[in-house]
Amino acid sequence: MLNLTQKTIRSVELKESLFKKLLVLSGLVVVFLMSGLFLTLFTKSLLSISHSGFSFLTSSTWDPVKETYGALPFLLGTLITSILALLISLPFSAALSIFIGEYLKEGFWTTVLNSSIDLLAGIPSVIFGFWGLFVVVPIIRKIELFLGIIPHGVGILSSSIILALMIIPYSASISREVISLVPQDIKEAALSLGATPFEMVTKVILPYAKSGIFAGFLMSFGRAISETMAVTMLIGNSNKIPSSIFSPANTLSSVIANEFAEAAEAEYLSSLIELALVLFFVTAFFSLVGRFIIKKWMVNA
Amino acid sequence: MIYDASIRYRLLKDRLFKISLGVLSCILLMPLLFILYYIFINGITAFSFDFFLELPKPVGEAGGGISNAIVGTLLLIAVASTISIPFGVLIGLYLSENKTGKLPDITRLCIDTLQGIPSIVMGIIAYTWIVIPLGSFSLFSGAFALSLMMIPLISKSTEETLNLIPDALKEAAYALGAPYHTTLLRVIIPSGKSGLCSGILLGVARVSGETAPLLFTAFGNPFMSVDLFKSVNSLPLLIFNYATSPYQDWQNLAWGASLLLVLFVLSLSLIAKVVSKR
Amino acid sequence: MSKNSVVLEVEKLNLYINDHHILKDIDIAFYKNKVTAIMGPSGCGKTTLIRSVNRLNDLIPGLKSTGSLSLNQQNLLELNPIQVRREVGMVFQRPNPFPTMSIYENVLAGYYLNGIKLSKDDKERIVTESLQQAALFDEVKDNIHRKGTFLSGGQQQRLCIARALAMNPKILLLDEPTSALDPKSTASIEQLIIELKSKVTIIMVTHNIGQASRVSDFTAFLYLGELVEYGPTQTLFTNPKHTKTEEYLTRKFG
Repeated sequence: MLNLTQKTIRSVELKESLFKKLLVLSGLVVVFLMSGLFLTLFTKSLLSISHSGFSFLTSSTWDPVKETYGALPFLLGTLITSILALLISLPFSAALSIFIGEYLKEGFWTTVLNSSIDLLAGIPSVIFGFWGLFVVVPIIRKIELFLGIIPHGVGILSSSIILALMIIPYSASISREVISLVPQDIKEAALSLGATPFEMVTKVILPYAKSGIFAGFLMSFGRAISETMAVTMLIGNSNKIPSSIFSPANTLSSVIANEFAEAAEAEYLSSLIELALVLFFVTAFFSLVGRFIIKKWMVNA
Repeated sequence: MIYDASIRYRLLKDRLFKISLGVLSCILLMPLLFILYYIFINGITAFSFDFFLELPKPVGEAGGGISNAIVGTLLLIAVASTISIPFGVLIGLYLSENKTGKLPDITRLCIDTLQGIPSIVMGIIAYTWIVIPLGSFSLFSGAFALSLMMIPLISKSTEETLNLIPDALKEAAYALGAPYHTTLLRVIIPSGKSGLCSGILLGVARVSGETAPLLFTAFGNPFMSVDLFKSVNSLPLLIFNYATSPYQDWQNLAWGASLLLVLFVLSLSLIAKVVSKR
Repeated sequence: MSKNSVVLEVEKLNLYINDHHILKDIDIAFYKNKVTAIMGPSGCGKTTLIRSVNRLNDLIPGLKSTGSLSLNQQNLLELNPIQVRREVGMVFQRPNPFPTMSIYENVLAGYYLNGIKLSKDDKERIVTESLQQAALFDEVKDNIHRKGTFLSGGQQQRLCIARALAMNPKILLLDEPTSALDPKSTASIEQLIIELKSKVTIIMVTHNIGQASRVSDFTAFLYLGELVEYGPTQTLFTNPKHTKTEEYLTRKFG
């Protein structure tokens, strides 16, 4: 109107619409990136899919020299290490999240525990692996000698222990958040009826937060599966199906880390990429389902 | 008062529960403190002027340093940040501006999926997209793999921060006649500055310890390299390679590198915390 | 009424959000250098009406409006919202100074956000004048480069008024400007509104019947999206023509 010429208005309108388009574009790029990522993994796996077919997932022999690619040992290795790690971490992360979430809401010890969780979460995977090699492996070796089995030291148990340490901060922080979202009034209602804090936690909070905590476990499981470096350093690189929790094994990610750089043949490389594709599906499944359940739970809570 | 015979038992159970929670939490503290102690004790002996300024020496020769890995790590982070910060902030802005809708929902799903993808898979992607076409391992491909990991972290923290900014500020800017882009860039983003910065710092802290995505991209390099299109060393790669080597000298360098990396990552997260409290 | 000159003429304004008919055939003329109060029960559309004047309603998805709002012989609905908002200032329910900017920068925010460069002298002059008009200058002149967050609620609201005045608007919209303030701050803002009308035409939404009678020259009464009654405040308050108006004024509902 007064001090605005048609020209400046048009230039402002142009800038506004360009900026809006830029924002939309950034969203589109993410979608393209994600689809491109998936398509790359898929197309690069095609050779292996046609070569090995379904036996890729069921065959127990992985022998690049004979061009036999069966991923069953890695699937089992991944599954066993991750489940074991989850079981080891469970009591600790549960205790930690209830302790901080409900008993010690503030004060010196809460700060100590909270910053310890943050510290633990901040240590890089490769350093966990390094420490595991020098501290955990010798201990496991002694146990193995004591039990009279081959003292590898490295193997599923060593990896699971380190893996457990690594996922505790993650699962504890999720369950702590879930517990803190339980409404104050139902906690107070339980206390006012004469429940002890223990009864309030086990009979009111945990049932209420059940699905949120379950989702936290799914996400932690996804975390454990996708973890690479520490496991690569500790699992012992064996392509056989593990016979006990002391056996050396390989996980989907550790075999990729170990063999990708030296894979020269096209089929070998393609088989490793198919492993990555499987890994992608499995981790995406756990993290998305976990996130979905948590979101749904938060809406209801 | 109703006399309840079991009340003493119930209180006992409560106390036992509380004690066992405390004990479990303290047991957990021990390995943590031990890890930090172990890294510190082993790492501090490796620290010296040479450690920071020299290149690694061949096996058998004493001394040597990790200057190439320090420079490499900083370069990788710098390049990865250059790619991922503007992009991640834009996506976060887009998502906080468009809370509903088809494309924003799909974008959110993609971001969530991207965040869940194992870091080693990012390495494979950077390998097929960049290393193969360019024909060599490179700093750029490593930084690209890292930025793939940073983008979801930064965009999510940006979205969450901006969602907390009251609509009243946006309305105030509009009521003064500010155009859309100025409102976002000069009012909304500055208001969320501390949250944005802390999100970015945490993103950097998160990827600076990553090894897996660098295995087949940055690859590692025993020499100093600042070339964007040549392979480069980094602290995590050096730790991985030297930790699994049989040589005491190299293992010592790896402990020193571990201490340096832990200090770096922890101070980044500490700064992030201080920034977000402001 | 004939001696008053019309600044803003609203004709046949209809506003829909999706299928809801929010404003129905509003015809109203606002007079120059007068304070007009818009009253009515919650949800009657009073805030929507004043947000139509500076086109802040454009932010609502699914919104459609027809009719005309003429200012300087131009229909505000046909202009770019940016043009409209430079002529029409607004102050909100809750004080919302920009937390990242100092008091000085807050007053100049309109220029800054519109990319208008000012000389240092102009800046000083505008800041001083606007703060003086908003009766805030003496209280903040020593802290003018500090962030406005330490100010009291009433001071923050006066800062927001100064920020709007700095752009020299023809019309100032006030959306329940005292609803978040204590009685003392409310009194000072009311005093300010009366002083300001010599410079700018004021349209204010208020819930407070007493406030309307104290500060406004004209009052419009809205009910369920319709303009029920409009006239000089004194006439409307002492001698309402419609039963709905009377019931509202005697607090039978709302």
